[in-house]
Amino acid sequence: MLGAVGGFALLLLPLLLPRAARGVAVCGLCPGLPRNGSLVSRFCESHGDTESDGRCCRERGPTSGQLLGLDLSNCSLHNVPPELAEATTAIVLDLTENPLTTLPSGSFLGFTQLQSLAVPPALECPGGSDAWQDVTVDRNSRLCQGQRNPCNTSVELAWPCPENSVCAPDGPGLIQCLCDGPFHGYKCLREGTFPMLLFGGILGTATVSLSLLLWGTQRRKAKTP
Amino acid sequence: MAMPGSLRRQPANRGLVSHCTHHHIVVFLLTFFSYSLLHASRKTFSNVKVSISSQWTPSCLNSTAPELRPYKLWNSSHLFPNAGEATLFLGTLDTIFLFSYAVGLFVSGIVGDRLNLRWVLSFGMCSSALVVFSFGTLTEWLHFYNKWFYCCLWVVNGLLQSTGWPCVVAVMGNWFGKAGRGFVFGLWSACASVGNILGAFLASCVLKYGYEYAFLVTASVQFAGGVIVFFGLLTSPKEVGLPELGADENDVSVEEDANRPLMGSDDVDDDDRNYSVQATDNDSQPKAIGFFQACCLPGVVLYSLAYACLKLVNYSFFFWLPFYLSKNFGWKEAEADQLSIWYDVGGIIGGTIQGLISDVLQKRAPVLAVSLLFAVGSLFGYSRSPNSKPINAVIMAITGFFIGGPSNMISSAISADLGRQDVVKGNSEALATVTGIVDGTGSIGAAVGQYLVSLIQENLKWMWVFYFFILMTSSTILFISPLVVREIKLLLHERRLRMLAE
Repeated sequence: MLGAVGGFALLLLPLLLPRAARGVAVCGLCPGLPRNGSLVSRFCESHGDTESDGRCCRERGPTSGQLLGLDLSNCSLHNVPPELAEATTAIVLDLTENPLTTLPSGSFLGFTQLQSLAVPPALECPGGSDAWQDVTVDRNSRLCQGQRNPCNTSVELAWPCPENSVCAPDGPGLIQCLCDGPFHGYKCLREGTFPMLLFGGILGTATVSLSLLLWGTQRRKAKTP
Repeated sequence: MAMPGSLRRQPANRGLVSHCTHHHIVVFLLTFFSYSLLHASRKTFSNVKVSISSQWTPSCLNSTAPELRPYKLWNSSHLFPNAGEATLFLGTLDTIFLFSYAVGLFVSGIVGDRLNLRWVLSFGMCSSALVVFSFGTLTEWLHFYNKWFYCCLWVVNGLLQSTGWPCVVAVMGNWFGKAGRGFVFGLWSACASVGNILGAFLASCVLKYGYEYAFLVTASVQFAGGVIVFFGLLTSPKEVGLPELGADENDVSVEEDANRPLMGSDDVDDDDRNYSVQATDNDSQPKAIGFFQACCLPGVVLYSLAYACLKLVNYSFFFWLPFYLSKNFGWKEAEADQLSIWYDVGGIIGGTIQGLISDVLQKRAPVLAVSLLFAVGSLFGYSRSPNSKPINAVIMAITGFFIGGPSNMISSAISADLGRQDVVKGNSEALATVTGIVDGTGSIGAAVGQYLVSLIQENLKWMWVFYFFILMTSSTILFISPLVVREIKLLLHERRLRMLAE
């Protein structure tokens, strides 16, 4: 019985692996667990039903669930690590106590869930303070809270989305353009699906009946040289 | 006297009406739509150019704006860095097509005369449909974009498409005799324009599903057309036991006298053939004419050269008119596209009316010459057209009447005349070969012309393009002038004889 379940899980593993493996590298970026009493551990405790995995905290489940919080504080990071891109589902993120000098604008691409972000006090919140509902600064950190939807601002966007696409949030102060409604495909150039069956049916019927008709009236009596 | 012989003695203008069976109508419609469908798939290509070039390029915004995200949706295609280079490549594809089409015409005329016209036509339509399908639909479904692959496919497509014209003209020439040919062929030449309209319509209907479906639809319809042609087309009246048309001849004593010995032997030949068709059907296929033999037929070289000059002007109008209108007058591209239909309309009416006149006169070259003289005048007038759409449309239709008309007539009725003239009669099949030579030379002219017009247009003013057109039209007149002189002499001679008889 157990063997059967295990076999089933093994079968499922390749399907689940990409999701399960997400964040693994970034979770092991620094040794230890989220610091006690830090932003991330407080969030995870209040959230319940979570478990920690290195510096991450994720949803509890039979396989490791979605990454919810990530504590990279005191990691001696000089710049934003590329592994951060694996943590796009994070709600809480702590980058304090690192010798970071800048936060490049694309670092938080795709972090649409992010609600609380702590950065060293010397740095601005990514996307500018306009991208956040609430920014508080204390001795050790600058806390950026509550992402604003950059598509809903009253200020007109510097670059509107092309035809057939609409603006969608893509992280703090970042937007992406996704196809609108019936449009799809590269550059959202296509609309709807081609009625292949209908077209094939009509054309096939017309071809067969015209061929038969003409064969009967024209070529049946023909002598081919 | 056998049937063909007696048929030949019939007065010219009764031939058309009295012998029009339902076979004639079906042949007319089948050949008409075969060529329309071939032309429709070419038109589709020019109508989806905008969609294709945006499929081949990344999104291009001004340099200050950040890149659009997500990357895969907006910037993953990198066949060309920008729309300008894609347009240049598409123009190159047009030129490649025209050249391979021209080369193909010479070859497929020869092939068409040696093999069964029906097989060649139906093979050409189906295989070119498959090539178009691979070009537009398959590459898009597989996301396989490669410049060289596209070029190769378009060369092959040009070669395969070229089977169409010589075959359909040959079939039409087999069924419709010289009497009334000018009118019938004039009407029939509308097939290219109808194909353009059909292609534009089909493309605009399905373009919203993606450009690959525009190719899919035209290719499938063309394929279906090929299948229908295979099952329904009768290439010649003798296939259903109808009397074969005799060689075209002027039922005038002058020519008959000149050809008497030749025709006498022909009649015997005819009897034999008719007999063998009913009996064994063996070796009844006349021997096909060689390429150089076909070139040496009287009038072929002169008409080919004349057509090269005229097709150059005619095709330049097709390709450049919308561009000229939107550049020179600042009219919208869609409006310019619509307006340029009037040129086609003028061409169809011109071809039909001039064909009718030439039937009545029984001489084609003088009609052409007069029409082309008017064409020079109308070109001059068109180059000075005021910025007004109705006036421009009227002058455009007049220009189409005097340029498109003669162009249609040379490529269809005159080609058929040349391929079935007395010299050829009886001992060979020359129709498709001659049509191929005339249209092939014309297409080379057209291909060179596209290049020259773009060169002149970039370096000099548009006015010089019109002067170039006028020069080319005058060269056409120059090339046919020996024929005009000969035919007018004949005409005067006939009149004198008739007067003497009375």
